[in-house]
Amino acid sequence: MLKAIIEYIEKSWLLVVSAFIFGLLIAVTNAAWQPKITQNKIAKLDSLMNALIADAEFELILSDVPVELGRGKTAKSNIYKATANDGSCAGFCFGAEGSGFADKIELVIAVDSEFKTIKGYSVLSSNETPGFGDRIVEDYFRNQFIGAPAAVLNLTKKGDETKIDDQIIAISGATVSSTAVVDIFNNYLEQIRAKLIAEGKLADGK
Amino acid sequence: MENKTLGISNVFTAGLWRENPILRLLLGMCPTLAVTTAVKPALTMGLSVIFVLLCSNIVVSLMRKLLKPHLRILMFTLAIATFVTIADLFLKAFQPEMSTVLGPYIPLIIVNCIIICRAEACASKNGLFVSIIDAIGMGIGFTVVLCILGGIRELLATGRIFDIPVMWQSFVPLAAMRMPVGAFITLGLILGLVNLITTKKS
Repeated sequence: MLKAIIEYIEKSWLLVVSAFIFGLLIAVTNAAWQPKITQNKIAKLDSLMNALIADAEFELILSDVPVELGRGKTAKSNIYKATANDGSCAGFCFGAEGSGFADKIELVIAVDSEFKTIKGYSVLSSNETPGFGDRIVEDYFRNQFIGAPAAVLNLTKKGDETKIDDQIIAISGATVSSTAVVDIFNNYLEQIRAKLIAEGKLADGK
Repeated sequence: MENKTLGISNVFTAGLWRENPILRLLLGMCPTLAVTTAVKPALTMGLSVIFVLLCSNIVVSLMRKLLKPHLRILMFTLAIATFVTIADLFLKAFQPEMSTVLGPYIPLIIVNCIIICRAEACASKNGLFVSIIDAIGMGIGFTVVLCILGGIRELLATGRIFDIPVMWQSFVPLAAMRMPVGAFITLGLILGLVNLITTKKS
């Protein structure tokens, strides 16, 4: 028995010691750089939200709100309240996600203080086809959402992109990616609004 | 002494041309095809690989006499995974944009054949100095080819290099060069060219 233990230690001591040292090395590096990484993430989200609602301070009001994505999938979203310089509510921002053509599409969506009009969206991360689906980041597609009603949006293949209403004109050659963005809006707007009303946060904004 | 210097320069130049990981050994094809959409991500990936390769070669070379044959792959992977995690954290902290662009391909360096191949073929059999020279040579060889691929693809896909426009005004960008098909075609043509050169030489 003792012999077996000694043999085991002889064979594996290097692995055990190395695992400990390497683990320590990663822990130290992580402790040193994690605050900077967190800060980067917050800065990125802040700049995206500021691009949607200018001159406002953002405050996290609800975190990890469960949102049904359909087909039994759920995602968690953080809701931010934008406060304008004069102290009034300038709107709400929340993270949203859905399946794109190749991978998950993550957006930041902004709506006005009464949750009646969309203020726009920014793409946090996407991996859509270059030249086609990745045009969801371009202004010509994004601008269709600015000022659109925060209700059910419809996707159509042809129409006037400059007309702002509940009709969103798809990017030609990228119907899947366009549908994905519209679906994300339709999924999230209703559920986030319901959550805000349930928590009594929307009444505050009025 | 002269022989030793000659040996060292041989080790260094092996990675650059004779045993270039991409052009001659066809190792590390995953990052080669995936991150060469432009020069900047290609360069970042190359530098990350140089860092990981250098650190893993140093560690493996230092512990080569203590390695048990049946545990050596486990030890290599442990060392490589540690340095890849550090490189990944570094990019997330100081190059967040590049980290987003490269996505999962930085963590995937762990399974990059070049690094485990150098640990097995060179660092576990040679001293510290030779292992360091080998890592630098192989790393530079890998990075240069990635940058050439990235340069060609960025130029044809956008008409830019390092985001600076360099092509004439009426140039029509080839969107396909940014897609996987562009990577395969460019790599195939470069490999063909290299084979042509080496066949003519021999």
